[in-house]
Amino acid sequence: MEPVKEDHCEEESHKYMSLALHQAKLALEALEVPVGCVILEDGKVIASGRNRTNETRNATRHAEMEAVDQLVGEWRKNGLSPSQIAEKFSKCVLYVTCEPCIMCASALSFLGIKEVYYGCANDKFGGCGSILSLHLGNSQPSDIPEEAQRGKGYKCKGGIMADEAVSLFKCFYEQGNPSAPKPHRPVVQRERT
Amino acid sequence: MDSDAWKIIHIPDKPTCPPEHQPTWKVYASVIKPKFANTIVRQLCKIAPLEDLRHVKRVRKKILQDHGETQLTVILCLAPEHNDHLNDLPLDVQKLVDPYELSPFITEVCKYAAVSKEEWEEQCKIWPTSFHPPTYNIDGISGFSEDDTQSIFKFMRLVIDLAVSEHKPIVNAAVIVDPSVRRIIASETDQVYPSSTPRDMTTTETSPFNETGDDRVTNASSQIFLNGIIEKLNGSLSDVACLNPWQWCLQPHETEKCSQWHPLRHASIVAIESSSARDRYLFPNSAESVSPDHVLPSDADIPAKKQKTSSHSPNVQKNCSEEAPRDPPMERPYLCTGYDIFLLWEPCTMCAMALVHQRIKRIFYAFPNPTAGGLGSVHRLQGEKSLNHHYAVFRVLLPGDAHNALNHGLKHAVS
Repeated sequence: MEPVKEDHCEEESHKYMSLALHQAKLALEALEVPVGCVILEDGKVIASGRNRTNETRNATRHAEMEAVDQLVGEWRKNGLSPSQIAEKFSKCVLYVTCEPCIMCASALSFLGIKEVYYGCANDKFGGCGSILSLHLGNSQPSDIPEEAQRGKGYKCKGGIMADEAVSLFKCFYEQGNPSAPKPHRPVVQRERT
Repeated sequence: MDSDAWKIIHIPDKPTCPPEHQPTWKVYASVIKPKFANTIVRQLCKIAPLEDLRHVKRVRKKILQDHGETQLTVILCLAPEHNDHLNDLPLDVQKLVDPYELSPFITEVCKYAAVSKEEWEEQCKIWPTSFHPPTYNIDGISGFSEDDTQSIFKFMRLVIDLAVSEHKPIVNAAVIVDPSVRRIIASETDQVYPSSTPRDMTTTETSPFNETGDDRVTNASSQIFLNGIIEKLNGSLSDVACLNPWQWCLQPHETEKCSQWHPLRHASIVAIESSSARDRYLFPNSAESVSPDHVLPSDADIPAKKQKTSSHSPNVQKNCSEEAPRDPPMERPYLCTGYDIFLLWEPCTMCAMALVHQRIKRIFYAFPNPTAGGLGSVHRLQGEKSLNHHYAVFRVLLPGDAHNALNHGLKHAVS
């Protein structure tokens, strides 16, 4: 029965997106741009990440990069070879609260991730359809079979609990970004409860 | 063109094409009666504003040869690209046809604003546009001084040294520079493969660039220097991360050396990380992040080595004339605002976007990246209007031999 399956899928995706949103809330509490993500393998969460750009003063430390580094570090430590790690990534699914930016969307393509589900679209930097469509993969596919496989791109779907993701952004911009260059909106002290 | 000389060329926001072959949009237009002109234009600006075509004049004025009469033609709205039918006119525009006796037809206008007088003259043959000579605020787009040119060539030589000398197969290298004092902020190479030995960050972190008066880049000296890279370019380019970003997993597994490699550690990403580590090290007080204009109260936190070395650097002369005995006070940077990055290869789209995020001001690269380049070869991020930051992009052309060698090498690597 088609509708039942759809419902089930939606329930599943909401479950995982809620975990990603939890990561985004942790970012917000740490005065970071609130984006969070989780990576799944066989329906099990194997990594999570949140934005750390202000803390690290490295504007490339997006949630996706944090989660990916966690996995690469762990797999490398366990002695996995590059091709074994590639094999692992090809089974991974990412849930992220905001459409991956052009940098992250490229990175996910290089890694050969299987699927990406995101919350709200990213009208300024989005690399999965908004500005560029990097999820479609390498425009000049390689003739090396293994490489061509990863150059194929990944399945990508947006709009999952988008309102929740957007409301976190609103909270963030109301409180002001403490690391933005001057002139910027004043930082409002948030009451912590 | 002198193929034996080094040269810097600007890579603009849009693809370059001959002035007579500029890309166009299709538009609906119509001849209008002069008495209706004001009303029609006012209404059209409301219902069909031409947001992305600000350079295009809405009304074309033509003096008819035979009677000396003025003929006015107005752009109604954009037309579908793959359809020559007139029935696709939007309803709002359609409503104007009868009252104002319009007879719509499809014509073309130039897609992008002209960047030169030659382009503009060609554009006006199709449909009149306006032309504003570029008033860029990024240094170098309208040319470099001799001093800056020499400095750029030297940093590019350093990049070549890094890419060639430290590794067996050639890799990409990235050097981030503060051009105001010509200080190296970070210098790194690809760390995608285990063989790319990670460099000791503490030694590269704050080292000033050692410039001496007598090693100006002359054709003779650069030829000797370039022989090294020409040899490498003739070999395999498969380890250059940005050129082959999907190829990382094809490497053999060497357990004893597998501690550092990472599929995404391209040279630019590593250099950004290194520059942010430097930032945290030099300005540990995170409270300063609230006021980026704040300068350090004293020079006490700056390693003595740097002050000593930099007092021998050529920029000291400039400082003296401004009666500043030492380096200008170190300001806490906001990311890489105001900094340049030098790369051997055009960065891939991931790295190009990372450089947008980190607020790099200018990018200089020597070789294009036909497989995954993000600055003109495959994508062109400097021309993506939606991004919140824009850098200027330059290519440093090496003398002819290096290019021939590269083309030869590319055939091996990419085929």
